Amino acid sequence: MKLDDIEKAMLDGKHGKAAAWAIEFQKDVGTFFDAEDFVPIRLVHVSTDRETMGDSGIAFIEELGNLRPSERYPRAYATADFRGFDKENFSFLLPGRNLEVEGTQAVEALGKLGVVTNHAYVNDHSVTAPGFGEACGYSGTPSVIYMNSIVGARCNFEAGPSSLAAFFTGRVPRYGFHLDSKRFATHGFKLDFSPANIVDWGVVGALIGRELNSYWCVPALELTGPLPSVLELNHMALAMASYGSIAMFHVVNVTPEAPNWETAAGGKKLDVKTINSNHVKTFYQEWGGIGEDLDVVALSTPQLTVTEIIEVAALLEGKRVHDRTTLLIYAPKEIKQACARIGLTQMIEKAGARMVHGHDFFATFAKEIRLAHKWDRLMTHSVKMVNICEGYGYRPTPASIQRCIQSAVEGKVIG
Amino acid sequence: MSLLEIKGHLGIGPIARGIALAASDDFSTRYDLDRDSGIFSRPSHKLYGEEFVGRILVLNAAKGGVASAWMLREMVEKEKAPLGLLLNDGNPVMAQGAAFAQIPFMDRFDVDITSAISTGDEIEIVPARGIVKILSRVKAKG
Repeated sequence: MKLDDIEKAMLDGKHGKAAAWAIEFQKDVGTFFDAEDFVPIRLVHVSTDRETMGDSGIAFIEELGNLRPSERYPRAYATADFRGFDKENFSFLLPGRNLEVEGTQAVEALGKLGVVTNHAYVNDHSVTAPGFGEACGYSGTPSVIYMNSIVGARCNFEAGPSSLAAFFTGRVPRYGFHLDSKRFATHGFKLDFSPANIVDWGVVGALIGRELNSYWCVPALELTGPLPSVLELNHMALAMASYGSIAMFHVVNVTPEAPNWETAAGGKKLDVKTINSNHVKTFYQEWGGIGEDLDVVALSTPQLTVTEIIEVAALLEGKRVHDRTTLLIYAPKEIKQACARIGLTQMIEKAGARMVHGHDFFATFAKEIRLAHKWDRLMTHSVKMVNICEGYGYRPTPASIQRCIQSAVEGKVIG
Repeated sequence: MSLLEIKGHLGIGPIARGIALAASDDFSTRYDLDRDSGIFSRPSHKLYGEEFVGRILVLNAAKGGVASAWMLREMVEKEKAPLGLLLNDGNPVMAQGAAFAQIPFMDRFDVDITSAISTGDEIEIVPARGIVKILSRVKAKG
């Protein structure tokens, strides 16, 4: 990789030990992907779920924090979407383990470095967002695909330690989605039906992710129905990234780099595959579960917005969650507080459900929670969560929020 | 002395020699592994139930999101890590995780690596030269 004078000085340790570690790490990764040089960045997003970081991740950040300030000078503005742990609910979900204390370790370690922690998803625009075409160093899977596709900012998965490295160097290796040529669509799809709800959009994302199954593929999608909402696009994006490691997509006439097919594909002619409602139906049938006893419903990933929580409260009005089922509704801390102020939390809790703030269900030791409660059958409206929780030993069933709530009330998976 | 050398892109991490655990399936530390017991835990994975600790994993594509970057190092620290990783199609997360954990990692081979190497083969990875050596076969390739 070509290094400029500042980068060479970083490598030589002249800008402190943290920058020296960071630039060497980034050079290794950049060389692996044939990056010619670095691209400067202003914004960094650090993904910090405690389960993923592990004790070694925390120890690494604490080591950096123990350096003298002149040895760990930051060169970008970094936020961590630290969603913490909900003390009351996590003492129910995982008794015997103090996740609040474990979470505080991460907040304190990152704060010492100058990383700002907050409780919301970055991709909901609650913090400074990059502009169109701006290179950034984002870490969270959903944040990266959102920034590339919906905002038009430029980003690779800068996962965990990689985003910290960007924080100390103020740059990232220029490869992948920083290059014009890699942002064009490589595969075409057409929807010949209108997804009925956000879960259907998630299934569309899963089908495309499975089909392409490569970080380097960029799908473009043509719609025949109404234009999707950002939340619907977000569910599709999460599932694409989850099932296919995909980090960028276009929706023709919707997303900013796809005003038409020709622009989206960089002038190339693409074969276009059709996705129809039967493909979606088959996906749902794969997971089964109809008629079985239901242990837990987790509405999360992404965490719910106020409008979805209003829907949940309305569905629960005058009803009671079945004794054998636990209904968990995840929201960012600020949203949960807002819901409490307008009475939604009380309505939901009166029905026997739990409003949980903090990290997502799948990211908070979901396997250990399953073992602690002897849970088996899980329902969720998140197609991404279905994918992850299968690996954690659950038998998951994807369904609309409406079906999830009705099933929680019945205590079994309804069709 | 090796039976065969396979060329790939220049890789990450130190030289490693060990026994392969191979399948034509994809890979994520979060989605597929029980990182406490050291086995593949996803029922639909072709290596379901197989122990991965100390083996060189030979799989198709990196899948899923960003979790593997932190997790690989945690697995090394807890002595629950594979010895190395060979994929047909890597992604940034796996490269970043390998660099952070110093686990040997290579991708972009001249051949389908999951067909060229079988479970039980003894192999050596030389990431700095972009070479995988097959030292001995568990069975003759047909």
